[in-house]
Formats: sequence, C-alpha cells, structure tokens
Amino acid sequence: MDALGLARLQFATTTSFHFLFVLLTLGLVTSVAVMQTRATLSADPVHARMTRFWGRLYVVNYALGIATGIVMEFQFGLNWSGLSTVAGDVFGAPLALETLVAFFLESTFLGLWIFGWDRLNKWVHLALIWLVTLTAFASAFWIMMANAFLQHPAGHELRDGVLRLVDFSALVANPTFGTAFLHVCFASLTAGGVFLTGVSAYHFIRRTTEVDFFRRSLRLGVVLTALATPMLIGFGFGQFPIVQRYQPDKFDTVGAVDGAGLGFMIQIGFVLLLVSWLTVPLLVRDWVVRLRFPLYLMVVGIPLPFVAAIGGWLFREVGRQPWLVQGVLTTQDAMSHVSRDQLLVSFIAFTGVFAVLAVADWVLIARLARRGPVSSDAAPVSPLVPAL
Amino acid sequence: MEGVWVALLAFLTCGYFALAGFDYGVGVLLRLVGRDEPARRAVLRAVTPFFLGNEVWLVAAVGVLFGAFPRLEGELLSSQHTVFAVLLAGLVCFTVAVQLRSPGWDVLLVGGAVVVAVAWGVLLGRVLGGPLVLWGAGMPVLFTLHGAVFLAWRLSGELRERARRIAGYLVPAAAVFVVAAVVTAGSVSAPVFGVTAVAALGLVGATWTALRAERYRAAFGCSAVLCALPVLGVFGARSVVTVSVMADVSTLRVLTWAAVVVVPLVLVFQWATWRMSRAAR
Repeated sequence: MDALGLARLQFATTTSFHFLFVLLTLGLVTSVAVMQTRATLSADPVHARMTRFWGRLYVVNYALGIATGIVMEFQFGLNWSGLSTVAGDVFGAPLALETLVAFFLESTFLGLWIFGWDRLNKWVHLALIWLVTLTAFASAFWIMMANAFLQHPAGHELRDGVLRLVDFSALVANPTFGTAFLHVCFASLTAGGVFLTGVSAYHFIRRTTEVDFFRRSLRLGVVLTALATPMLIGFGFGQFPIVQRYQPDKFDTVGAVDGAGLGFMIQIGFVLLLVSWLTVPLLVRDWVVRLRFPLYLMVVGIPLPFVAAIGGWLFREVGRQPWLVQGVLTTQDAMSHVSRDQLLVSFIAFTGVFAVLAVADWVLIARLARRGPVSSDAAPVSPLVPAL
Repeated sequence: MEGVWVALLAFLTCGYFALAGFDYGVGVLLRLVGRDEPARRAVLRAVTPFFLGNEVWLVAAVGVLFGAFPRLEGELLSSQHTVFAVLLAGLVCFTVAVQLRSPGWDVLLVGGAVVVAVAWGVLLGRVLGGPLVLWGAGMPVLFTLHGAVFLAWRLSGELRERARRIAGYLVPAAAVFVVAAVVTAGSVSAPVFGVTAVAALGLVGATWTALRAERYRAAFGCSAVLCALPVLGVFGARSVVTVSVMADVSTLRVLTWAAVVVVPLVLVFQWATWRMSRAAR
C-alpha cells in the first residue's frame, strides 16, 4: 500500500474507534441524565442506584472516547497538513469551537460531576450532568459542521491559494450539515437505548433479583429505541435528496465498501425500528421477560447500532473520493510530506494500541455490566469509579 | 486581535504543562511513592479528581492551534511526525491506564508517563535548538519534581515523607538541567531566554525552600510555573508564531466569541473542582 493509502487507512481506523466510543457516550449520558432527573425528583432510591450503575459504565466508556479523540485532533496536522494549510481558516473554525465550547467544557463538567457525587447540592449535581450532555451533543454539532464543509464547501472564498472564511452563517446553514447532525444524534440515542435494553435483558436471563432495577432500565431502553429509530430513519432518508443534489457522484461511483456500509445501515435501522415497536406492547405485565426469547435477541442486538454507524460513516466518507474538500482539495494534495515508512510505523503503533485498549475497555464494561448494581469498592474496576 | 490569540495559545499551552505536568510526574512516581497496592491507590486518588480537567488543556490548545494558526499547526506537526506519533501513543496508554487501572496496567501507566515526558522534552529541544538528550532527560525531571511536590501536598504521613524526599533528590537535577539548557541553547540568544533561565533557577530554589518550610501550596505553585516556563521560552525566544501562519481576522472574530465565554467558565469550574476536593479532605 502506498503512503496515501496508509494515511487514509489510519484515518479511517482512528475515526472508527473514536466513533464507536462517542456514539455510546452520547446515548448513555442522555439516559443517565434522565435517570438522575428522576432520582432528584422522586423519593424512590432505585433511580439514584440506576444513575450510579449506568453512570459508571458511561465513565469507563468515556476513557477511550477522550484518548481516541486526542489522536483524532492531532492527526489532521500530522498526516493532512495540506488541509490545514489550504482550508484551515474555514475547516479549523468549527473544529476549534468543538475543542473549546464542547470538549474542554465537557471534560471539566464531567470531572466535577464524578467527584461531586455526594458532595455537591443535588440540584447543582443534576445541572452538571445535563451540562455534560449538552456539551457532548455540542461536540457532535461542531464536528458535523466541520465535516459538512468537506462534503459541500460553503461560506468561503479563495484568496492567494488559501480559503478564507467570509460567511460563518453559511457554514451553519450548509445543507449537508443539519440533517446529518440530527441523524447522528438519533443514531447515538438508538445505540444508548439498545445498550440499556441488552444489558438489562442479560440480567433477566440470569434471573436477577434486582427485578425493579432492571425492569425500569429495560423499559427506558426500549422506549428510547422506539422513539429514536423513526427519527433516525427519517433523517437518514432525508439526506438522499441532498446527496443527490450536491454529491451525485456518491451514488454513481458506489463501490463494495461504501455500498455494503449503506446497505447494512439501512437494514439494521429498519430491524431496530420494527423490533423496538414490537417490544413496546410486550412491556405490559413484563411479557417480554416472561417470554424469555426476546431477551436473547436483545443481548445479541447490542452491537447492531455500532455496525450500522460505521457503515453509514463509510458511505459518507468513501463516496467523496478523490476529494478531501469536495471540488476544492484532493486527498492526495492534502497529504503531509511524510515518508511511507513514518506513516507505516505510526499506523501500526496506533492501530495496535487502540485495538488492545479498546478490547480491554470493552472487557471492563462487560465485567461492570455483568456485576450489576452492587457496590464493591474492594476491587474497583476503574480508579474513577469508586468516586461514583 | 492576533495578539490576543497568541496570548491565548500561550496561556492554554502553559496551562497544559503546569497542570498535566504533575499528572505525568505522578505517573512516573506511582510505584516509587506507592510501594504497595493501598499506597498506589492513595497516590492515584490524589490525582484523579483533576485528571480529566488537566488533560483537556492539551485538546483546547491544539484546537486553538488548528483554528487560529492553521499553517503553523500543519507545519509543526508534520515536520515532527515521529516524535508526535510516539508522544501520542504514550499519551493514549497513559490516559487510558489512569482511568481504567488495575495493578496489571502499571507498565502502561508508568511507561506512558515517561514516554510523554521525554517526548515533550525532545520536541522542546528541537524547537529551542538545544541538545535532545539534555531536553529528553530534563523535562521528565521537571514533571517528576512537580508530581512529587503535588503528592507531598495532597498526601499525608509516610507517603508524604517519601514524596518530599524524592522531590529533594530532584531539585539539584532540575537546577543542573536549567543551567545546562541555557548554556547549550545554541542559536537562541534572545535575552528572553536568559530571563526565563534566571526565573527557572529562582523557582527551583523557591520550590525547595517552600517544601522545607512545609508550605506545600506555595511549592506546588512554584513547580507549576517551572513546568510552564519552557513554553514561555518557545513563545518568547523564537519567532515561531507570526501573523502569516494565522487565520484571517474573519475566522478569529468568530472564535473570539467562543473563547470569551468558555475560558472563564472552564477556569471557574476547574477552580471549583480544586476547592471541592480540598474541602473533602
């Protein structure tokens, strides 16, 4: 593989890893915020216990989100310095806004939320988790705005070989931005809903004694999935006319990778829509638990939203080639002047590190999820967790 | 307008070195100060409340570098490709290991901290034109000193004594590094660099005096500024940051709105984290 291929493969690998973690981050943090709101309003301690249990899973998942996110940010300058040289004025603006308005604040709020547990006033603490949620979605907002610029450059003019920002509102109004952003938001809510459902179902399969705890979690998961999937599919198909109009080549040149990605995504979306709505009536009198076989499907279904999300992302990105910024800058021209060997070494290093750490993180999440809502500080799964 | 953004970039980078510096120092010292598992947990518990907030200063600094200094970002990162790749690999291992640690992860945690500290040293050495071996050894000394001072401040009893003793060993090493870094600075002859060096020597001495007097917060403040000084050296001694590498005013204007709102907010909330964690002790 040549240098360009390596650099692209490295970007795809890093982004895919990052996307897997942030997708669950967004979905879980919303669920945790809902749980904590109910915990704050209600006298029933089950809500507070739910917040703690799911909050721990969220925090462990966040660890890899932040680590992969840092590499993502550096990668633009490392491998694609042509992008920052030519389009940095415009593309860099939403990216810088993301780090300041979203990432910087999000981590600060999250740190305070974790260590403010049992120390802060409960309303202040509740406000913090909603601020974390808000800044997490703000992250997606700015990143999708930056990505939309690559799909359909707007709001700029070319001066002395460099793109200059002339109209920031054109970045916001970019037709390839809004619908895609909402699509990603509902995809993350779906991933969160499916995760809640699957983990709760696992505990029912093992005949948990925490019936009330996991009944409530399962219901929240199913309802969240059922509410999110119609919007998810709506905003998904809502993008077809936009792509048709601005990037018609995407459909004409569809290949094996992006074609399969698109196909999987659509099928999984419809399956989740159908299954979640079929499950809603079964929530009555816990039929879903008594029947048992849906529980197994729910556990098996946990990876589906993630597969779909990667598929959708491949379709959005691969179909734009050979352009990095559609019609303005080719991927080839955007590459840094780095040797193939340097790229190979960094590709192997990052892929290896991410693969090992991601698997370790998933093992920890699985272990925490299996353990259920018991608090055992004797052998904490993560140094951040005992504080929760 | 441009001056404001140079100042903000310098502020964020200094903040990162001053805050994350003790994260890496504590990482290096994890198994030296923490001789058994309960002690290691105590060491980590001292740093975890601030960990997410500290590391994210780097994210903010690089974000500003990309948005406001796009042509510097691409040039700097791609020309130091291998060093940054090693640095990031170490950083990823370190951040994940701190957050998910069980005893088996300590190789990644300590190793990651060492790699990050050495790589920052090498990068600073390259930009400032000093010998890489000196800088690669010197920055870990500064970060470890900072971490030891932090632990002496936040821990108690035997662990505090151990951290203080280690800080005592590191003070002469830090002083030697500061002097050697100035003498070998080569092409960089700007007076700013000399001023920085004198300030650094003063800070090393002040850190030591404050530690001996058990004024831990003052010592921590001194070692924090000490860690950030090389960054000031970069901004002051070299014309690294020029207007030609910066984004157009139209971009800066948009970013300014965000920075004016966010930076004070972050400062207030991170200050609240420090206050709360002090009150809990």
